This record gives sequence, C-alpha cells and structure tokens, in this order.
Amino acid sequence: MAAFHLLGSLPLSDCVKLCHRLVDGLCGQQPPRREDYSSIWTLQQWLELLNSLTTLFCEAVGHKLSNEKVLARLCDAGSGPAEAVLSVLRARQAEIHRALQDRTHFISSATLQDFDWQLGLALSSDKISSLHTPLLSLSLDVQEKGVLRSVAIEMNQEELAALISSLEAANKVVMQLK
Amino acid sequence: MEEVDKILIQALKQVGTEVSEETDSVKQFTSELIVEAVVRCIRVIEPGLGGALPTSLPPGMSARFRVGMSLAQACQDLGYKGDIGYQTFLYSNEPEIRSLLMFLVEKLPRESAESSDQPTGKSVVLQRSIAAALRAQLAVPWLPPACRLPLQTQTQSLGSMHSFQVQPLSLPLGPPASEQTLLKGEDSAGLCPLRVSLSSEYRRDVLRPVTAQLSSHCTTAASLLERHTAELSAAHEWDVEWKSQGLLSRLTPQEYRSRKLSRLRKRIEEQLRSATLPAADGAAAGPASSSSSADLSDLLQSFRSSSASDRLLTKGTHFTHTQKFTFAQVRPARFPQDVMAAVSPAPSGGRSEGDAAQRRQDELDVLQQQLQELNGQAERLAADMRLMTLLSLQVKDELKQRERGNAEEEDRIHVKKKTIDLLPDADDNLLQLQAVMEASSQRLVHLAAQWEKHRTPLIEEHRRLKEIRSSQDLESSRKLSEIKSLHDKIRVSTEESRKKEETYKQLVSELDSLPQDASRSAYTQRILEIVSNIKKQKEEITKILTDTKDLQKEINSLTGKLDRTFAVTDELVFKDAKKDESVRKSYKYLAALHENCNQLIQTIEDTGTILREIRDLEEQIETENSNKTMANLERILEDYKAIRQENAALAAKVREG
Repeated sequence: MAAFHLLGSLPLSDCVKLCHRLVDGLCGQQPPRREDYSSIWTLQQWLELLNSLTTLFCEAVGHKLSNEKVLARLCDAGSGPAEAVLSVLRARQAEIHRALQDRTHFISSATLQDFDWQLGLALSSDKISSLHTPLLSLSLDVQEKGVLRSVAIEMNQEELAALISSLEAANKVVMQLK
Repeated sequence: MEEVDKILIQALKQVGTEVSEETDSVKQFTSELIVEAVVRCIRVIEPGLGGALPTSLPPGMSARFRVGMSLAQACQDLGYKGDIGYQTFLYSNEPEIRSLLMFLVEKLPRESAESSDQPTGKSVVLQRSIAAALRAQLAVPWLPPACRLPLQTQTQSLGSMHSFQVQPLSLPLGPPASEQTLLKGEDSAGLCPLRVSLSSEYRRDVLRPVTAQLSSHCTTAASLLERHTAELSAAHEWDVEWKSQGLLSRLTPQEYRSRKLSRLRKRIEEQLRSATLPAADGAAAGPASSSSSADLSDLLQSFRSSSASDRLLTKGTHFTHTQKFTFAQVRPARFPQDVMAAVSPAPSGGRSEGDAAQRRQDELDVLQQQLQELNGQAERLAADMRLMTLLSLQVKDELKQRERGNAEEEDRIHVKKKTIDLLPDADDNLLQLQAVMEASSQRLVHLAAQWEKHRTPLIEEHRRLKEIRSSQDLESSRKLSEIKSLHDKIRVSTEESRKKEETYKQLVSELDSLPQDASRSAYTQRILEIVSNIKKQKEEITKILTDTKDLQKEINSLTGKLDRTFAVTDELVFKDAKKDESVRKSYKYLAALHENCNQLIQTIEDTGTILREIRDLEEQIETENSNKTMANLERILEDYKAIRQENAALAAKVREG
C-alpha cells in the first residue's frame, strides 16, 4: 500500500524539495502543487504518495521512530530517496513536532484559526448628528469540522467589556489547569 | 520700534496681507503694501465697510487719489483720531503709517486668541484632526485605479480592504530555547548534532524567504507581526511567571520547567485514568461522574473508535501514546472474533437477484446483531478480566500477609522451644542467664557511654549546621524579597517613564500645533525692561535737576556776593575818589570792569539760547528729512503731471466725442 517506490522516478534534489514542500503543507503553509508533478505521476499515484509520505512524517515524529525504523518503512523506495526523506524528516523534526502539538491542542470540534479586528468611530447616524461612539468590529475565522467559517461581530464599548471579561474568566480557568 | 514693527507685521500676516520675508519694519512698506494692509484690516474689523474697497492701487492717478480718499474716510469712520488723508497712503511717512496700523491692529477682533485659550483635551484634538482628515479626503475626487497618483492611493487604494490574515511562517530562528532543550532531552544520543547540521543545510538550500512563503503578499506583514507578538507574549508570560513563582521555588529555570512539565503530565494522566475507568466499566459509573470527566470520556470514546487511518490526527504528545497503548490491548482482542463472525456464514450461491439482496440484508442484520453481541461479550469479558486481575492482586496481598504471620509464629515457637529445653537444669541455667544478663547490661552501659561520647559532638555539629542553614534561609528570603521589590520598582519606573514620554509627545504635538508668533512672555519681559529703563532715566533726570538747582543757587549767591562786594567797593572807592586823583581813575576802571563783566555774562547767556535754537532747528530739519519731503514733492509733481495728462486726454476725448 505504501507508494514510496514512486519516489524513484524523481531526481534526488527534486525529491528533497517535494518532501520539504510537503512538510510546509503539514505546518500550515502552501502544500506542493500537483501541476508541477502531473507529468510524472497520475492523480491516484500522486494522492497515494502524498498520503503515505504524510503518514510517515507524522508517525515518525509522533512515535519518535529511530532512523533504522524509518528506513525500514522506506525500504521499497530505494536507498537514495529513502536517505533524502530521512534527512528532510530530521531537518524539520522540530517544526513537524510543533505542528502536531498544535493540532492536539484543538480539543474541541470548532477551533479559532485567525481573527481580525477594526476599531471605528461612528461620528453620526441617520437620527443623531453627533454620535462619537467607538465601535469594534471583530471577525473570527472558525474551523468547524474542516470547514472554515467566518463570524463577524460588531460591539460597542459595554459589549466589548463583557466579551473581554468572559474571555478573562475563561483564561483564568485555563491558568488553573497549568 | 523694531519690536512694534514685528508685532504689526505678524498681525498683518494673520489678517492675510502678503508681507515678504525681507520687510521687517514699517519704513520699508510701499504704498501698495500699505493700502493692502489697511484694506484687509478694515475688512476683518468691518466687513460691510471694507467690502467695497480694492486691495490694490489702480493704475490711474485720479483713481488712486479717490481710493486714498475713501480709505481715509473709512479709517475715520472706524474712529481714527489722527491726521489722515489721501496723502497718508500715497505719500507715506513712517510715524503716521505706524500709528494708523497700530490703531487698526488694536481694533482687530481677538478670536484667534480666544480659540487658543480653549482647553485642548485629547478628545478635542482627536475630533478636530478627524474632521480635518475627513475634509481633506472629501476634497479629493475619486479616481479610477489606473489614474491614481501616490497621494490618492493612500486613501483610495484597496490595501485597506484586505483583512489582517495570518499564515504560519517557517523561520530559521528555531524554537525557543526551552523547547530545544526539551527536544534534545528526548532525542536518542548522537542524533542531535546530525539533526542540527541537517536543519542548517535545509535553511541554507531550501528554505524560501519569508515573502515567498505566503500565498499572497498582503498577509506578509500580518503574519510577521503575529509571529512576533506570539513570541513576545510567550516571553512576557514566562517572565511574569518566573518572577512571581519561579524565583520563590529557588530552582534554576530548567529545573523549574521540567518540574512543571512532570506535574502537568501527572495531572493529565490522572484525569485520563479517572475518565477511562468509567468508560471501560460501561455504564457502571453512571451520572455520578463529573462533567469534566464526562467530556473526557467522550473524547476517549472518539479515540477508541478511530480507525488506523485516523492516526494522522493522534499526535505525538506523551499522553496520547500511553492512551493508545492501553487501548491497543483491547482492540486486537476484539478484531479476530469480529472477523470470524463475519466470515463464518459464507454465501451459498445466488438464486434470484431480489432474494439475494433480501438475504444479504437479513444476513447483514444478523451479523450486525452478532457483532453487537460479541462486542458486548468482549467488553464484559474485558471488565471481568480487570475484576479478576484486581481480585488476584488482592489475593496475592493476603497471601503475603499470611506468610508474614507464619514467620512470626515460627519465631515465637522457636523461643518457647529453647525455654522448654532449658527448664530441667533450672538453677544452673538461671545463674548462667543472670551472668549473661549482667554482662550484657554492662556492655549496654558501656555502649551507651560510648554512644553518648559520639553523640554530643555530632549533635552540636547538627545544631551548628541547622543554625547556619536557618541564617542562610533568612538571608536568601531577604534577598528574594529584595529582588521582588526591585522587579516591582523596575516595572513601576518603566511604566512611569512610558507615561512621561507619552505626555512629552502630546505636549510636543500641542506645541507644534500652536501658532508660532513671538511669545507673550518675551513681550512682557521686554515691557518690564523698558519700564525699568524709564525709571532709571527718570532718576537721572531728577539728579540733573537737583544739580541744576544747586548750580542756580550757587550762581544766585555768587551774584549777591558780587553785588554786595561791588557796592562796598564802590562806596569806599567813591569816598576816596573825591580826595585823590589816582583813586578816581581806579574808580572809573572799576565801573568799566563791572560793565564789561555784565556784558560778558549777557553774551554767554545769549550764546546758550542761540545754541538751543540751533538744536531745535536741527531737530526740525531731521523730522522734515524723515518725512521724505523732497521725494514726496517729486512724486506729487509727477502725479500732478499725470493727472493733468489724464485730464487733457479726457478733455480731448470729450472734444472728439
């Protein structure tokens, strides 16, 4: 089932590059693009290769596999590509470790991916000529079951204070766990 | 006079007159400038009055004359009491212009001064600047993107529409030191240097620059900022924690970290264990379990049902591994049975399609039921097994206890047996026993004495060390509190300095926004100086006056003396003159002398008055000179000629018409 033998059809330097891009994707950056390799592998082969490499990286870092064990799993790739994959794995071990840890922290079904805020000053409205009310618009990017969903909230001063106090209470609970 | 002129020019500039930088006194004002300044002042003071007046002189001479007349009229309407006419503007002289401008500037409304007196709070400044910015932006027309200049791109570009989104970056700075040490600690020996060299190779050859790592350029700044903030806040949090708790624990940072890590691990393991027990026992725990453990058991259920392909999501933290190991025992035990159950009722060949489907469905149901039953059985068996292991442990414990009891009993029996053996020869044995006892008691005493000998210095040593320790403790706690207070002080002073810097910045910005005219205090100082000068001069004048009075007095007394002396001499000589001829001659000389001296005095006085007159005349000449009479006269003559020419031209026109 492991598709490591497919790596043999790639020059060694490209193989290293592909593995690095793959780790980039694992750490939340752009994953490698299929167009760059479409002449070498079919879609199915590509997916298989990606899948097995990702699994290998995750397990090797997660289980702290030794070099020999990793090489044993890579046995059908040939010695050159296997060494390349191993070198990439060792070079990026800390980063993969970190990314996996981050994923472990997402213990609930919905997780906050990113947030953005803007502070505005409403000078007047259609009824009141001079308003001077500060407003905060907060947008949260929430990932729920693999789908990114954007939540936008606009708050005035009191609502913001309420939100902050509830967040602080939550933080206190987290701090107690420490 | 220079200061007065400066103030005047400043005020005129504020009104809107275009005074060039080189002109710094009223003397250098041209007629055009004077007219413009006066008209602008009048417009500000009385808009109705000044609205009809032009700000520049017309070319025609007669028109100029009329403008001068109307200006003079307007100034008189405003209440100017001095001598004023068209000549004031057209043929200016310095003092007149100065007094006129001073009058006008004093009449200017003081709105600017009042507005600067208003309290300038932060919010007022902010609102004013918002209003100004909005006004400026409204004044700029909207342009299509292709036509925008750099000025407009600032307010009209799409850059502000991009949200502040973050993507993770890969930086060569590496994880914080703590994590590195932690990872190193977990590494098997010998791997570490290899990894370091590999990662440096990666950084050199493969790692792209930060700007190329992201899918779009807009997120570069955001990502960098976010990364930086995250690291900064982590460092700050560690700093705070270390100062509040770490210092008190009296450990090195590494020890503190590792201790905290092990504590956290233990806690999490406890939580997980308490959560797995009710899950393994099925519904035995029931609703009694707390909500947190219920959540955790949900989580663990999801772990259990996760298939092998989901292992991607189970990360490399320690506790998940231990978790996986515990359940790894359960899973394989279950699988073969399931497979067996699924395989055993093999399909016995197909009849019709519908039948087959129906049968397959039935089979599926049956199989599923069987599967469930088997699952239940397996779980029950697992629970039984656990119970059994527990029981066996208990039984083993009991066994050990029993064995221990047996040994004790055996000892006791041994002693009793010996006693019974000794009974037949009781007396001898008694004596022997007593001797043995005495010997042993003596040995005991001896040993006690020896022990005492050893003990006392040891105890003293112990006490001494204890004292040293307590003093060291005291010292260290004192130092700790000192460190704490120092930290507090540092924090407080940094805050203070930050606050002061902010105030300083605000004050600087306020200062910049203030109008840049000569300051009030400088003027007051100057006035005070002038007043003191005047006082000094007044004192000198009074001194001179008293001197003059003294001189006058002296002169008077001298004149009186002279008169009296002369009278006496005159009388004496006159008496003798009747008798003697030579005396008569001397009398004549005396009279001549007296008369000559009187003439001399008269001449001196006359010279004084003439000198005074000369000085008066010189002053008059000076003032006349300052009036630029000759130049003005020439100009008047030229203007007169111009008017005559104009008149002639007009007359010719009339004649032609």
